[in-house]
Amino acid sequence: MSILYNTEATLAERVDECLADDFKHNAIKAAQEAFYVKRGELVEEMGEGWQQLRMHAMEVRNHVTENLDYYVKQFAQNAEANGCVMHYAPSGDDALWEVLDIFESHGATYAVKSKSMMTEEVGLNEVLEETGIKITETDCAENILQTAESKPSHIVVPALHFNRSAIADIYREKRGYDGTDVPEEITHFLRKILRHEFMEAEVGIRGCNFAVASTGSVTLVTNEGNGRMVDSFPKVQIVFVGIDRIVPDLEALDTMMALLPRSAVGAKMTAYFSLDSGPRGTGEVDGPEDVHIILMDNGRHELANSEFQDMLRCMRCGACLNICPVYRHITGHGYGSIYPGPMGLVLTPGLVGYDDIDNMVYACSLCGACTEHCPVSIPIHDLVRQHRINIVNQGKNHKIEVPIFKALGLFWSNKPIYLAGMKLGAPIMELLGHDGALDASSTWIPVVKNWTSTRDFDILSKSRFRTWFKEHKAEQKNTEGGEQ
Amino acid sequence: MALGNKKLEDLLNPISEQLGHANVADNVEMPEWEFKAKRVTDGLSAAELVDLFESEAGKIRVTAKRCTKDTLAQTIAEIVGAGVPDSGDACSVVCADEEAFAEIGLYDALRASDKVTDLHVWDEQAGQANVDKAYVATYGITYASAGIAESATIVQPTSAKCGRAISLLPLVHIAVVNARTIVPTMLEIMQAYAASDEKLPSQVCFISGPSATADIELVRVEGVHGPMYVNYVIVE
Ligand code: SF4
Repeated sequence: MSILYNTEATLAERVDECLADDFKHNAIKAAQEAFYVKRGELVEEMGEGWQQLRMHAMEVRNHVTENLDYYVKQFAQNAEANGCVMHYAPSGDDALWEVLDIFESHGATYAVKSKSMMTEEVGLNEVLEETGIKITETDCAENILQTAESKPSHIVVPALHFNRSAIADIYREKRGYDGTDVPEEITHFLRKILRHEFMEAEVGIRGCNFAVASTGSVTLVTNEGNGRMVDSFPKVQIVFVGIDRIVPDLEALDTMMALLPRSAVGAKMTAYFSLDSGPRGTGEVDGPEDVHIILMDNGRHELANSEFQDMLRCMRCGACLNICPVYRHITGHGYGSIYPGPMGLVLTPGLVGYDDIDNMVYACSLCGACTEHCPVSIPIHDLVRQHRINIVNQGKNHKIEVPIFKALGLFWSNKPIYLAGMKLGAPIMELLGHDGALDASSTWIPVVKNWTSTRDFDILSKSRFRTWFKEHKAEQKNTEGGEQ
Repeated sequence: MALGNKKLEDLLNPISEQLGHANVADNVEMPEWEFKAKRVTDGLSAAELVDLFESEAGKIRVTAKRCTKDTLAQTIAEIVGAGVPDSGDACSVVCADEEAFAEIGLYDALRASDKVTDLHVWDEQAGQANVDKAYVATYGITYASAGIAESATIVQPTSAKCGRAISLLPLVHIAVVNARTIVPTMLEIMQAYAASDEKLPSQVCFISGPSATADIELVRVEGVHGPMYVNYVIVE
């Protein structure tokens, strides 16, 4: 299981390290702002159509979740009818086993890969490398991370924590790059060195943004074109599909695609969106001869019919990260999960449970901005709060925090108090943010949703968050006697 | 349970159980959807859709040109003749094997051009040699099956006559789009595929502009793994 990483460090230590790295959170901030502004313009242009799209996407995805067994089966059967070889992976380890089996049966030892969260989730690269299979990441950012042996700091632009000269140095040292630090030159160097790899690799490994049940198709959304290279030239293709990627039909696919690029990068469409239905057809000379689909659950079914089932709608767009004031400061690396930010706070414990996640679910101010921006209207902050409540109820929390989170749970579940809180707004904020029992208890600033307008986030995040976090930690150390 | 070799049932059973289903339903009716989204293209005329397609193309750094069937061959030859930065002296072209291209005399026009050093027309009999040609080509020319006005997207299905490599490997992609095939949104394309009895092509690629990245310090760079320049030629 590789959802969690850097678990030797505590959450607080990871956060500390991230807060100290000014380049990193400034880069994240710039990305947040760029995506956010562009997304906002497109949303505005669509007028009421945007909310209608969101609502429609929600009803479609909910319908799939409620009939998930049916749609998984329909997708599997139709993909098979298209000529794909199906591999079923209830667990991540099953998926790894199947992948190794595919390499063995094809006698393959060399693969190119385009970005896929699912493969990261199961730790595919490490396993392949251990068995002597060469695997090259081909997304620019992923290639940078692979070459630098680093981890993603953002789910859409994962290598933002490196500046241009660091990246140039990485390639100078490892790949003989002799150009300047100009991003264009580095990128074109990557184009050059990766090109023949696409042609030579025996296997292409890729993810799938949406899988279409009615046609058995898989899809891939990319800007760089590496996804297309991976699914055009290697003879064997392995597609990782999560059971939570399924849409019922092609019309639903359009709805999702109207939301995804706008939410993810603030574009109407990405440069490439491919709809793949089986191996190359008669007379075609490129495209894979064999397509293997790994249909993987790895804990997802447990979210269905649970208090977290809304999370199965998630399309991994990253919009919630791009608006999150906490994410802005601690960046992807603070969370210690390949799924960071608001969506990660819900999904990570949903997939791995509560035992190993430290106090991750407290890395949230419950401000609700994520929920408002989520293209499929997942009540993200409510689900984060639900995790907190569950942790306390299961007695799994750090002992010092238990009583106070109990109090918090009460606070949220007690309607009159909650409503009073809504009215009080700022005073509640004071109460929660500065002194008193609640403050000492909560690792992060719990606030009432909509306590203030979104514009105030900046004030909150810029002027107070970092100082607050530092002070708060010092305070916590005192109360806990250094125990962490 | 041992690893690997799982059956579909092994994947489905836990899901059904979680959902409280005794078994997987034989058929699930899609509900009447409550919401239908208004799109910016609603109510636009065919001519307005073409205008939108063209103006959106400009926003995603695509050079769009209009022409008629009679001037198509010449328009393409001119684009090829104009060249692009960094392409060097050699100017090889890979073309989809389209009847429409032969009909308008495109292949002859390109052969006649003194700029073009090599012209390859996709040939399913030639196998891998097609891809090798595309690998070194400066220009790849395809006939898109449709255009999408909302996002200036072209729809490019793969076939025996038009491989994936043509719109992917060359430095420049020239896509010809018939104005009559320009639809408002992707929805119309999806509906048309859904209504057809034929199996979907092995790949339908929706292309919107040059390949690009912003992975290094968010600086936009064009021409990553796919074409660096994209031209749409709209035939009216
Ligand atoms: S939770 Fe919503 S906003 Fe966040 S990644 Fe998923 S779909 Fe996007």
